[in-house]
Amino acid sequence: MTLDQKFNTIRKGLLEFLILKIVSVDKVYVADMLQRLGDTEFATQEGTLYPLLSKMRREELVSYDWQESDAGPPRKYYKVTSAGKKQLAEFNDYWKSLNTFINQLGR
Amino acid sequence: MNKVITVNLNGNAYQIDEDGYNALGEYISRAEEQLRNNTDRREVIADLEQAIGDKCANFLRPHKTVVTAAEIEQILKEIGPVQNADGEPVKSGESASQSQAPPRQPRDDSARTSAPHRRRLYRIRRGSGWSGVCRGLAAYMDTDVILVRIIFILGTIFSGGFGLLIYIIMIVLVPIAYTDSELNEAHGAPPELRRS
Repeated sequence: MTLDQKFNTIRKGLLEFLILKIVSVDKVYVADMLQRLGDTEFATQEGTLYPLLSKMRREELVSYDWQESDAGPPRKYYKVTSAGKKQLAEFNDYWKSLNTFINQLGR
Repeated sequence: MNKVITVNLNGNAYQIDEDGYNALGEYISRAEEQLRNNTDRREVIADLEQAIGDKCANFLRPHKTVVTAAEIEQILKEIGPVQNADGEPVKSGESASQSQAPPRQPRDDSARTSAPHRRRLYRIRRGSGWSGVCRGLAAYMDTDVILVRIIFILGTIFSGGFGLLIYIIMIVLVPIAYTDSELNEAHGAPPELRRS
């Protein structure tokens, strides 16, 4: 297993929380999310994002509205729900405690 | 000279040359296979078709009306293979064939057919401006929307506005059915009948 593959496993698990973070700032549609993550370590594709978003919607972490666009058909605009916000806050806490723990472990 | 095939991508027609059409068909059937156990399968496929259609539109000009195989290939590469989200029941590996793991329905199925399917009250919106309360109630009670609307209107008139209050409360409390499985629940139909 290469280093990148190992990191990839970590990144995959984090994607859901990054999406929560993105939608917690503003209503966005999928192309916005892809663009937001585009030049980062977490660059992803529709093929991954759509199944993830449906799962998150089913878990009631996000919801969406249809909105007309100037060009082309109406789009789904995603936003965070209160349950999503709560989970994001929990994730942030967990992430901090993980960081602290990992930093302490090497000393 | 290439043959051109017209496809319907989530409600819009696109002309694609034959090789592109084949590649697209292969992609969609692989996606369906990947999502076989995913309750949102149809929604995800519709989302993907929409995304593919949008990207096809970007390649079209007034004097270029056909999407080529090379362009389809580029679009599919951009979209990437369908991957189930973590925590979803996944069937076999990425490229592995269907033959592994026998379908495990028998017990499930008999339970499904013998017990009447559980019904849930949802709001059913059909692209109209309506809140979907009446349509949802009609589905729940297995009756006609018009009847429910008339009862609501008469109820509001004769109760001095109380019916309207109930209507508004229901808009707030009753969730909207988004996915196929939710729509099926709203109608009390078993999952097998999802195509109706």
